[in-house]
Amino acid sequence: MELKIRNFLVTSFVVVLGFYSLYLFSISSIFSYTFSYEMHIVISVLDTILLVYFLAQGIKYKDKLVYILASTQIILYGAILYFAPNMQGVDILSDELSRVMFLVINIVGGAIIIYALEYIESEDFSRLKKNSFIVILILFLGVMNTLVSTNNIEIFFFLFELTTLCSYLLIRYRGDRVAVENSLRALWMNQVGGVAILFALVFSISFYNTVYFSELLKVVDGVFLIPVVFLVIAAYVKGASFPFQSWLLGAMVAPTPVSAILHSATMVKIAPFIILKLSPAFSPLLSITISLFAGFVFVGASIMALNRDFFKEVLGLSTIAILSLIMALAAMPSEEARYAAIVLLVFHAISKALLFLQAGILEKNYHLKYISDIDTLADKAPRTLFFIIIGFASLTLPPFGAFISKFLAIEAVTSQILINPLYIFVLLSLIIGSVFLVILYFKIITKLLNKEAFKNSLKEKLDFKYRLSSNILFVSLFIGIFLVNSLNILEILIPLILIFISPFLFKYFLFKNAPRVKEYNCGEKGEFEVGVYNYALSDDTIEKMMYISIALIIVHVVVGVL
Amino acid sequence: MMAEYILIALAPVIGGLIYGLERVVRARMQNRQGPPVLQPFYDMYKLLDKHSSIVHPMHVSLAILHFITVWAVVALVILGGNFLYVIFLHLLSTIFIILAGFSVRSVYSHVGSNRELLAMLAYEPIFILMATAYYLLNGSYDIALIRANDAQILPLILIFFAFLLTIPLKLKKSPFDACEAHQEIVGGVEIEYSGIYFEFLYMAKWLEYVFIYMLLLLFAGNNILLGFVLAILVFLLVNLVDNSTSRVNIIDTVKIIMLFGLSLSILNILGIIYV
Repeated sequence: MELKIRNFLVTSFVVVLGFYSLYLFSISSIFSYTFSYEMHIVISVLDTILLVYFLAQGIKYKDKLVYILASTQIILYGAILYFAPNMQGVDILSDELSRVMFLVINIVGGAIIIYALEYIESEDFSRLKKNSFIVILILFLGVMNTLVSTNNIEIFFFLFELTTLCSYLLIRYRGDRVAVENSLRALWMNQVGGVAILFALVFSISFYNTVYFSELLKVVDGVFLIPVVFLVIAAYVKGASFPFQSWLLGAMVAPTPVSAILHSATMVKIAPFIILKLSPAFSPLLSITISLFAGFVFVGASIMALNRDFFKEVLGLSTIAILSLIMALAAMPSEEARYAAIVLLVFHAISKALLFLQAGILEKNYHLKYISDIDTLADKAPRTLFFIIIGFASLTLPPFGAFISKFLAIEAVTSQILINPLYIFVLLSLIIGSVFLVILYFKIITKLLNKEAFKNSLKEKLDFKYRLSSNILFVSLFIGIFLVNSLNILEILIPLILIFISPFLFKYFLFKNAPRVKEYNCGEKGEFEVGVYNYALSDDTIEKMMYISIALIIVHVVVGVL
Repeated sequence: MMAEYILIALAPVIGGLIYGLERVVRARMQNRQGPPVLQPFYDMYKLLDKHSSIVHPMHVSLAILHFITVWAVVALVILGGNFLYVIFLHLLSTIFIILAGFSVRSVYSHVGSNRELLAMLAYEPIFILMATAYYLLNGSYDIALIRANDAQILPLILIFFAFLLTIPLKLKKSPFDACEAHQEIVGGVEIEYSGIYFEFLYMAKWLEYVFIYMLLLLFAGNNILLGFVLAILVFLLVNLVDNSTSRVNIIDTVKIIMLFGLSLSILNILGIIYV
């Protein structure tokens, strides 16, 4: 009974939230708000408490990096509070970008929370712990919603740290040794981002005398971009770009809804958000540096994903790859590229959430975690399989949003080549990385798809909340196609009909009574075990890639001073 | 406009004729008599008579979808659609056939699909870069516009060579025919199809011919004579190479095409910008 009330309340809450963000998106007005002096004080106090908590965690688990970074932040933050004059300005400013983010956060995040309601019940925890899981997820959404509409970098820092806190709590949720280790790693890496923001604040206050994004974007000139560069580095940390990818991959130990929410609606989406917000202030040199770096990570992560067997890890690396692509596009000085980046951001969130939800169902209902263990899924779980295929297909194939975005991106990057030939490398990484991702996705589908001859698929029974959450995402994928409105109607309809309508027609009208045979297989008998191919990068190569990325990040800083 | 629709309707027949002609030319190069030009159509007729059975409905549906998609691709090229879009729709058609290969529990089918997937890694970037180069020259991806403009083979000469490299791969000709490799993996994906269902695959193959030659004709722009000469020369060249080379394994195929094809395309694009 209590459970039903909880589920009802949470579900209606996220549904209202989803509709409200749709409403906000449709009215497209700019909302601004200024916090009072007392509010600022409250935020500063809370922020300090948070940093002290991190420090305490570092000391408790004897993790050097955590407490060194936490104390660095306390010192820097203290210095900022002490030296910086108390500035007044618009603290909350929700513009068009924020409204798009609201959509992603609330609709995709909402679907994941509905899913989590059921998922967490199948775990072996106390009632209190189960409920706290849902609470942290909802808190996470709240923090994200505020984060994307804040204009004050100090408050932004506070919210940034709060997302770190949420992810830290969620990753260590299971409480075993691996979970604690991975959560501490996530904590220190994300604190690197926090330190970067504080540096950005220090430089912003001392050189431009402002703590507001809008002011900073106005006054910053192409000569001294250091505050912007540090914010970009914070974005790389949140986006788990090389060399920070391990925190996101470590987050897999948490219950699946956590991965789903980290990878799609929240956490990592801060990265492209920051770049999109700051890109008007980039100098051409900084733009190309970011695009090249992100292009490099895009290709690197896609190749790295090719030899992973753990399903969620494959999804994780492909998140890192696509986020980099979004950042590469967002950093470009072109309206089309920016639009492509936003479209990709939205659709990547939907597709990734859909995929992670299915990964969770595979784990819970079929006890499948590794790609190599999956066999004849088409016979057992046709619905889950269908959503997985749609999830992957929607990341690459027409007519889905991610495809439209790549389509626009190729055009946008091509026009940039005329201005700066270095963009040809961005184009190349875009093309080659995409092809690698296609190979990756279909390598997985290989394993999922094969059916036994003479077997008809069973009807798959799933809990209502599982179905509802997947269906919300599935429907948004489709509505999205028409919202983006960049292809003509024919170009949308051809693949749509091919993918969705014709298979059913065939199934029911053509082959209902067709004679069946067993596979011919050249007459060869014997057991057939389906394998998957792997392309492993050597550890050496991966290490080299990390060094290259660190070097490239240092180049960012140099570019910022030039 | 009417002519275009007739052309679309007849596209499989044209493909079949090219395929038949090819078998004759290849035979003559080997001093053989060879089959009649209409042999592919006789094959089709014979297949109609065969007992058609299926492994499971999804497997066959995917093949039919592959056929329809390739036809749609050809139609869009004929109607002068968006080049980049055409390439991605073609990708979708390839994905269908790859999925078909993977959907049955048959070793040969899987090996074939795997190779098809790898082949994609080789030619897809070149196709996209080709579209990009056209965009740089014409300011649009519009195929109708490209066709209305003057021949662009000279400014695109390196990309033309890169494209030539991909033709044997797409049409499954030696030395890059590892995807199908009849003597080795018995046609790859094709193996599990029979009777009337195999006809769809067969026709899809013809349509691929039409698609590739239509792309080739784009290099000639509005110059019909040049287009004619190009098509004949390439046709002869591809078959000559097919006759005189032996199969390269799939990994080397990918390496060769990526290395040469990509560098040629990039050089060409840089050339367009700077020259």
